[in-house]
Amino acid sequence: MKSISLLLALSSLHALAGTATYVNFVRQNQQGTNVVWDMPVAPKGAAPSALTIDTAGSLFQLWTIEQSSSNKDYLLDQKVVGAYLPKADIKITTLDPNGLYPRTRVDKPFTVDINVSGLMTGTGLPDASTKVLLEQHIQAYATGQTSLEPSIVQSNTPLTTGYLTTNGKSVLQFPASSLKAADPTKARGEEHFVIHALPDGTITQTQIASAYVLVYPVASGSISGIIAGTEYRHQLPTVQLNLNDLYPRSSTKFMLYEGSQYNGVTGTLLKAFAWDDPKLTTSLIISSDELSTRVTKDGTYTVALMSETVYGTELLCPPVTFSVKRTLSVNAMQVNFSDGSN
Amino acid sequence: MKATYILLALASGAFAQTPVLARITPAALAKIQQNNPIANLPKSQDASAKVERPAEQSIIKQSMILHDGTNWTIVPKGAVIFLPEALKNRVDVKPVGTLLPWSEFLSKNFGWITTNEVTFDQAAGNIALPAARVAFWAKQDKIVVAVHQNGPISVNVAKAPQTITQR
Repeated sequence: MKSISLLLALSSLHALAGTATYVNFVRQNQQGTNVVWDMPVAPKGAAPSALTIDTAGSLFQLWTIEQSSSNKDYLLDQKVVGAYLPKADIKITTLDPNGLYPRTRVDKPFTVDINVSGLMTGTGLPDASTKVLLEQHIQAYATGQTSLEPSIVQSNTPLTTGYLTTNGKSVLQFPASSLKAADPTKARGEEHFVIHALPDGTITQTQIASAYVLVYPVASGSISGIIAGTEYRHQLPTVQLNLNDLYPRSSTKFMLYEGSQYNGVTGTLLKAFAWDDPKLTTSLIISSDELSTRVTKDGTYTVALMSETVYGTELLCPPVTFSVKRTLSVNAMQVNFSDGSN
Repeated sequence: MKATYILLALASGAFAQTPVLARITPAALAKIQQNNPIANLPKSQDASAKVERPAEQSIIKQSMILHDGTNWTIVPKGAVIFLPEALKNRVDVKPVGTLLPWSEFLSKNFGWITTNEVTFDQAAGNIALPAARVAFWAKQDKIVVAVHQNGPISVNVAKAPQTITQR
């Protein structure tokens, strides 16, 4: 028998976006005796369990209840701990260091570090003591949705599963998110990784560790009002920029370049849009009439719409190359009407 | 959450660009999504691993509600170990008003709620609660909630005879 320290991270609950207030509960369910105990909890920190861990396992659940007329309750996390159950920890690391929760873009790699202990080796041992099951759950956001209830996602059929059969650290490197969409670059949602013990069915829950990552779509855009390959002889048109799914803390720029190149050459900034929300993406339409004043001489030009994020600078759509020819040239031939009298 | 828009129309300015990358195509992304490292892990011989996933649950439905007319809280079912007849209307009513953590709710309602510290063996029903203590509850006209280190705890009725009126 032993006690554990149950880590409480109640101040950063993903499900609690918005202005509503919540009351948190940590409930310990003894699997062998069905005794249920509500741990006194502080808003943030760690607390040792005052109950011994049940031989059959103790289920720790982190709940929150919304202060509203509906009194909606959310199961934010749960973990079963047992004296004879293996233990596991999961940590997700992404290329984006910002945000309260691990977050990534659908096309970017991330790493899942898993640490397992308590597995035994030998012949004739039950599954519960020799391996744990890793599950990968994915769920896309519905329109307007920005978070999911972990217990709902994790109760669905997993996308993939596999066994971990050795103690120690396992590092799984995902080249991209597995979230699906008709256009996979526009997938948005969450990936949850869950580790289950494999007991003999005597306990009601088998989850011993879980973690999740928020997945954002790849930004996109379009430039309209100016047509590629066109030679403009008069005033240049007002350009409309359509910006979609701009990443949190991104800076989007509409650039003008002389010539047809945009990489490795110096350009002129026509318009900039900074999106500094720490969590949400955004979409909008802006117009730019700067071309008519910034292009002062004839030649070939390229305009490009690009976004700077923690992942670098990327085009939102193909650049548009056009030419300007305003100079009036007169082709004439001087004719000498001499009468030959001299 | 505050979102800030900054729209700049710059009158001048020339920028040497950092390398500009092309936007990934849907086809290219779909291809790299096929390289899932979990595919390399050992698989179950039988199709379904016997795991229990968190089905739809509700801590409110799994609890007993205490209400004082303005505030309410929850305790595990089985934690109310004595309920006087006159106070039944304060238990298991529709939750309205302000939800408080157990400790705050208790501090506001000492007039009609008291606690009884129990050991884990008593909560598990392995050891009966002292008969003298149980007999004393009826004299207080208060709801008695079993607690363990100040947290409400459910109590399994021990097989030994006692007069707990558990709800």
